[in-house]
Order: sequence, then C-alpha cells, then structure tokens
Amino acid sequence: MKSLLTILSFSIAVFTFAQDGKKVQFVGGARAVMSNMDFQTDEIDTVTPGKSAGGYALIDLGFRINPNEQTEILGMIRIKNDLGGFWGSNVAFDVRQLYVRGVAGKIVRYQLGNIDYKMTPYTFYNHNPDMLLSGVGTLQIKEDILNYESFYSRKNTWRQQGAAIDFGLAFPKIIKDVKFNSFIIRLNPSNLSNIFERFYGGGNMVVSQSNYFTFGLNHASIFDLKATAASDNPYKNAVSTITFEAKLDKDKWIVGLAGETGTSAAGYAQDSTQLTDFFSNTKAYLKLKELNLKVSAGYLDNGADFRSAGAQSKRINYNQLNTFYSRYTNSQIDRQISMYDLYNDPTLYSSSISEGIMDYNPAINNALPYGTASFNRKGIYGEVQYQDTSEKITLEAKYYQLSEIRGQGTTKLRKYNFLQTTAQVDLMKIFNMRRHMDIEAGLSYQRTSRPSEIEFEGVSLKSASVSIGAQYELVSKLFLMANVYHFESSGNDLTPIRNTNDEIISFAPFSARNYENYYAAGLKFNFTDDMYLSAFYESNLNNGNGLTPYAMNQFMIVYNLKF
Amino acid sequence: MKKYITLILLGIIALSSCHKKDNSIDGPSLNDVYGEFGVISTLDQNLDSVDFAAGQTAYFTAQMSKIIDWKITITGQTTGAVKEIIGTSSSLNQATTTWFGETTNFPVFGIEICDVQLTFEGESDTLTSTIKIIQPKLNPGFLISDFESGFNNQWTSFIQAGADMDFQIKTEAGSPQGNSYYNMAGTVDWDYLIGYLYFGASAYGSAQMPITGNGDNTYFNIMIYGEPGSINTILLFQFQEDDDLSGVFANSSEDTYSLEIPVNWEGWKLLSVKYSDIPCLVNGQPSTPNGNGQHNPDRLNQVNMLHLANPVTGFAKTKVDYIIFTQNEPLKP
Repeated sequence: MKSLLTILSFSIAVFTFAQDGKKVQFVGGARAVMSNMDFQTDEIDTVTPGKSAGGYALIDLGFRINPNEQTEILGMIRIKNDLGGFWGSNVAFDVRQLYVRGVAGKIVRYQLGNIDYKMTPYTFYNHNPDMLLSGVGTLQIKEDILNYESFYSRKNTWRQQGAAIDFGLAFPKIIKDVKFNSFIIRLNPSNLSNIFERFYGGGNMVVSQSNYFTFGLNHASIFDLKATAASDNPYKNAVSTITFEAKLDKDKWIVGLAGETGTSAAGYAQDSTQLTDFFSNTKAYLKLKELNLKVSAGYLDNGADFRSAGAQSKRINYNQLNTFYSRYTNSQIDRQISMYDLYNDPTLYSSSISEGIMDYNPAINNALPYGTASFNRKGIYGEVQYQDTSEKITLEAKYYQLSEIRGQGTTKLRKYNFLQTTAQVDLMKIFNMRRHMDIEAGLSYQRTSRPSEIEFEGVSLKSASVSIGAQYELVSKLFLMANVYHFESSGNDLTPIRNTNDEIISFAPFSARNYENYYAAGLKFNFTDDMYLSAFYESNLNNGNGLTPYAMNQFMIVYNLKF
Repeated sequence: MKKYITLILLGIIALSSCHKKDNSIDGPSLNDVYGEFGVISTLDQNLDSVDFAAGQTAYFTAQMSKIIDWKITITGQTTGAVKEIIGTSSSLNQATTTWFGETTNFPVFGIEICDVQLTFEGESDTLTSTIKIIQPKLNPGFLISDFESGFNNQWTSFIQAGADMDFQIKTEAGSPQGNSYYNMAGTVDWDYLIGYLYFGASAYGSAQMPITGNGDNTYFNIMIYGEPGSINTILLFQFQEDDDLSGVFANSSEDTYSLEIPVNWEGWKLLSVKYSDIPCLVNGQPSTPNGNGQHNPDRLNQVNMLHLANPVTGFAKTKVDYIIFTQNEPLKP
C-alpha cells in the first residue's frame, strides 16, 4: 500500500503552471483581414452585387493568471471591429474563452469552464469528416482561421462548456498504471417549460497492463435532468465501449492489434422504439522501425442503429444556407455550400453536439459522413504511413471498402470505396537548398454504388478532390505560395429525409454534376513563427451543379499574430 | 509465444462480433416512394348487403402497387349521406376500412343502396362498387327525441307572441336523421327568449331519465342547424337533476347545469358534450350548483331547450334533431 501511495501522483507530478514564475500573463492573438470579392455568373444577374469588399480586425486578449503553481485561470475577451466600422459602430465585444484548471491535492487534475475534450473515436470525438484534404499555402491560412474561429484544434477535440477531471494510479506489480478521465458538459438549459436541462457526461478508465497490453473502459451519455421540465419523456443516448491494444515491440518492428468495440442505446424514455446497436472496429498493424513505415489493416462494423452523439456530430450542418452570397441570379436561387465555402466561411462551422442526425453532403463524404463512427457501415480498411528518417517525405494513405448493413428503402446495400492520400515533400532537404520549399499534395476519391435494374433504386455517385499546395521561400522569411484545388462529383443518390425522431420518412433524389476549381497565389512574410502577413489572390470556379455556374475571385490580406 | 496467442485471440474475439445480414430496411420502401402506381387487385368488400342494426360491419379490400393516399367515399343513393374513409397504404383491409354504418357528412344513412368510390391522390384511377344497407346503424343510448314520431304531449313548450314564430316539427328531405326535425324561428324584440321546449322525465314514464352512466362517461349529443346568414340564435340547455330522488325538481336545493350554445355556423352540425363538462350557470356566469354539486345524469328530471336571441338582432332561426344521451363515447351517427 505504501508503495502504491508513493506513486499516486505519477501523472501529475510534472503538471504545474507558472514555470517562469509569472503570476499574470497576457495570451491571445490578433488578426486583420481585408478582402475584395468579385462574383460573376454566366446567368442573367442584375440583382446580386458583383463586388463586395470587407474585412475586420480583431484581438483576442486573454489573461492567464496563476495564483499558485497548481492553478491556472484564463479569461479571454474578443474585440472585433468590422472594416469601416470605427467610431463605435460594428464593434463587438465577446467572451471567447474562460476556464479554471489546476491540480487538486497534487493528485487530481481538473478544468472548469471551456474545455477541449475528446475520448475515443466512438464515444466523444470530433472526426471533422468534411475537410478531406489539408494543404500548405493559402488553404492552410484559411483552414487555420476557420479552425481557430470554430475552436477546432486539429486534435479531434470538441470545445464545450463543463468540467473535466483526470488522475492516475501506478502499481508496482501486475498492472503498470491506470488512468481515469471524466467530464460533464451542459448541452442546453431548461426553458422551465417543456425542455429539459440536458447534459453530456462520461469518463473512461485506461489500464496499461504492461508495455504490451492496454485496455480501456469508456462510457459517454447524453441525459436529461428529470424534473427540470414539465415532461416525463427525457432523452438519453448512452455509449459504452472497450478499447484495447496489444503489441509486440521488437528491435526492428512492432506488431500489434488495436481496436474499440461497444454498444449504444438512444431514444426518449416513453418511445416504444429505443435504438440499440453495437459496433466493432479492430485493426492489426506492423511498423518497421528502420523504414519508419507503418502498415495497418482493419475491419469495422458499425451497426445501423448505433448512435453516439459525441462521435457522430459534424462541424458543418448542411441544412443551412450560405451566409456569404447566399443567393444569386435574377431568380435568386440558393447557392449551395461548396468546398470553397468550407475553406472560406468560419460561420458555417459549429461546435455543438447534436443529439439528432445531422444532414450531410453525399458529394463531399458519402462513405463516412460521420467519420469513423458513422453508423450503418461495415467493411475493411487499410492505412499506410511513411516518413523517411530525415523527414524529407511524408506519405499517408487510407483506403476503405465498405457497405451498408441495412438498406435504405430497399434490401439492396450501397457499397463504398474511399481512398484518401496525402504526400508532403520537403524539397529543401532533398536538394540541399538554402531556402524552404514545401509541397503538399492530396487526393480523395469516393465511389458509392447500388446497382439495380430498377431505375429509382440504382445509385452511382463518384467524387474526387485533388489538392496541391506549395510554398517557396524567396528571400528570408518571405514565401511565395501557390495552390490548386479541384473537386468534382457526378452521379446520383437518394438522401434520407428524417423526422424529428430521426426516422427516415422519405428519400430525396440527389444528383451531382458539379466541379470546382480553385487557384491561388500570393506572398507570405513570417515575422516569427507566430506572426505573419500574407497577401494572395484566389479564384474559385463552380459550375453550379451544371446549371448555374459562377466564379468567385478574391484578393485577401491577412495579418495574424499569436502571443 | 503467449503474446502471439493473445494477439490472435483478441483478433478472433473482435472480429466475431459483427452484424449479420439485415433483411429489414430503413425508411419506406423505395417502390412506395418512387414506384409506378397500379391497381393489383380491384375494389372488393366483405358483404354486398349489410345490416348495421344487427351489428354487422362492412369493409373493403384492394391492393395497389405502392403506398399511396387513398379515399373511400360511400354515398347513400336515397339520403345523400356521405361516409369518407381515408388512409395511406398499399392495400385496403379490414383494419383500415371497416365501416360501422356511421356518416361523415349529414344526413345519416337510411335503408338504401350506397355507391362506393375508391380514389387515389394524384392518380386518375377510380374504382367503384355498391353496397346495400338493410338496416341502418343503431345508436345505443337514451334518445330524448328524433322527432320522427311527432310532438309528445307531455313535453312542455312555450312560444312568445313575436313575429314570424315557427316552432314545430317539420318533415323534409334535409333532415339529418330520419325525415323530421324540430324547427324554432321567430322575432321577439322585447326579450331574449323566443320560445322553449322542455323534455320532462315524466314524458318517458319515470321521475328520472333512464340514464345509467355517470357524469364522466355520459355524453349529451344533439344535431343543430345553423341558418345561413343568421347568427342570432343562442341555444340554452338546462339539465335539472332530482338530487334527492323525490320525483320533483326543486331549484333552490338541487343542481341545474346549463349549456349555452351560440349557433354561429351554417348547416347541420353534431354537438357532443361530456355531461360532467357542463357547467352551472347563473345569468350566463359560472356559479355553484344548489344541490349536491355532482353531475348525476341518472337523476335528470328534466332537460330544457330554450331558443334565445338578442332582441335587437332580429329574426333568429335554428333546427334541432336527434337529441340523445350516449355512454362511454360521443355519438357516432
């Protein structure tokens, strides 16, 4: 027991704040954006403005206060001023971040307020399934902005408000260590009438038996607090999973087996149809240490009724209109959300956990619209990851061959093929250049098929994205950027129309004949690693699904600073 | 070696928990949404002649190629009564089309041959048939009057000496039930009361009306006609209970419940009210009953029907038919 107690705080011994002794620090960022947009369409359009100019300047000013070594308080406010909105107009003040975190009793880490949290891919995880390809250059600038604005950290976390604690135990025998994590989040308040106080909570216990075997028990649950509304029909979505990993670590290679399996239950207490199902996702991997090559192959089986709100929520709700040039032509038709909008408009993104099934765009991601946790999918997948020892080339490829488990409107099942590859090349290292030169290329290809002799039953949809980005250091810290992005989709599908209980009540024909081309070039000057000034021109051509093509050309100046 | 075995066992366990082929489908059948419409089996019925009074029911069958909104319209050739049955399905069966002889639009059905028509939303196909009613539906309950047997001399009536006074039973084709109804019309420019008709329990051979239910499962039903272009009529029903079962109603010590009905619609309409929902009113305002304060339809001594109208609004006219108390549910004529 004594030996146990002495190592109780193994995981938090190094977790202290204010290492530099400062009790109050300023943290945050600043950004200024100026843009001039040129909108054109081949259709007759005397209504939509052909040009629009705008921009803003903002500062996120945070106060990081360390009253002692074990406590940190962060409050961050945002002051945002739209371009041309001086003298008090169009100025917004907002609280951007607020939390308290620390270590209690030198054992338990806690955080209250805003938390960036994730657990496992099937419990609580931000899969970000719509941003298929990332790139350097202008797209990276834009992606960084929208991720920052929507509180996405590229680590698959969700920004929520609540509390989280974690602590660990280490053992001298049999078990190496056990880590405990838990969280509670308030999803929505009661209206003191018919809407319950809704929370999302859970936790996990991860046991490392040794260097060879680890397993975890995970649970996440959305639940309504009874008696907070004049209703006796609360909602619940509970997900329980087991994660595991066993591996053999030899001198030249590592071989292992990892996965997650579990169950879910979802529905309202008084509804006769409670959705329950299970999933299983297991992969075997081999890593060759000298080559720095990792190859894995797996099998996933996500039940048709598997529901996990924390893992199936999307950052983008496709059941919304564009906020920027939302309509065009003299008929003022809706301008559908395009790939360009995904990079250009942070207001399309949300950080909310959605209890209901969110709409998705089959053209962008039909194979795994809700990420790895997508329900009603089963099949095999493989991954290859390679990075040479000097980090000149990094390659990554994933391939999924999936099918539905339960047909939608028919017993015939859709089949999906999904290939995603990225390559990063550091030409400076390869050719021993004096200046930086990076190229990143990506390809994403999806095919959905449901062959049928009956016309309305058949599905055939293909989509492909290709992205190439490059940046070259012309002179010290001044980079020339160039990007090309092509997206196209063709074919047909039927998208489910669901009622408020997420039951499919009908199907809507989906027809894709669209393509987008994006070209951009510009300059970026890095004052420091956290501060740059960039100016670039970008052109986006969209064929409007073969009906009403348009072009959006934009010149942007972006200044960004983090401190 | 143990580690290899562990890896293999874990892999077997993980892969063994996969879903079997699921033959159910999510959502409606695509054929039902996008398939071509066609009639697979035509309109048919379980009986060519039906005796509703004997408890028989009729139902219709048909089979279509897809789920569709359909409507059965049954029209009495003699009365013009109409019964509509609607649904959304790919087949018609007993569960969805059973007809108990009731009507959707007045009048009620009589002994007659009915035309049956099956139509489909958005499709031109119409399937037809006929069915004969041997005996129309009987409505269980205590019938105060359907006015088919003329005026009961033990009823009490009063008619003001106004202009165009017309209080009488009339027999004509427009009657919602049977051939006769009670007409009430006239102009009284000095008083709200135009006339009344009181139905005393003694007219039915007892001191209390023969109603067995309680206030919560007894329904008062009446068919009322609203005169087109005239919304003057107020019908007031007073339900006087003989709380002490003395055989006589005493206003000072026994309950009177009142139902005030502004007749502000046009045409015939069935009105059904749960007896326990009928309030006690004094001068039109809610009040406390003078008796035991409980709704006791089994102690009803008299039902008063008063035809009222604002004296300044002029001529008022209405018609009533088929006044009946039913048990457990409102009247389904």
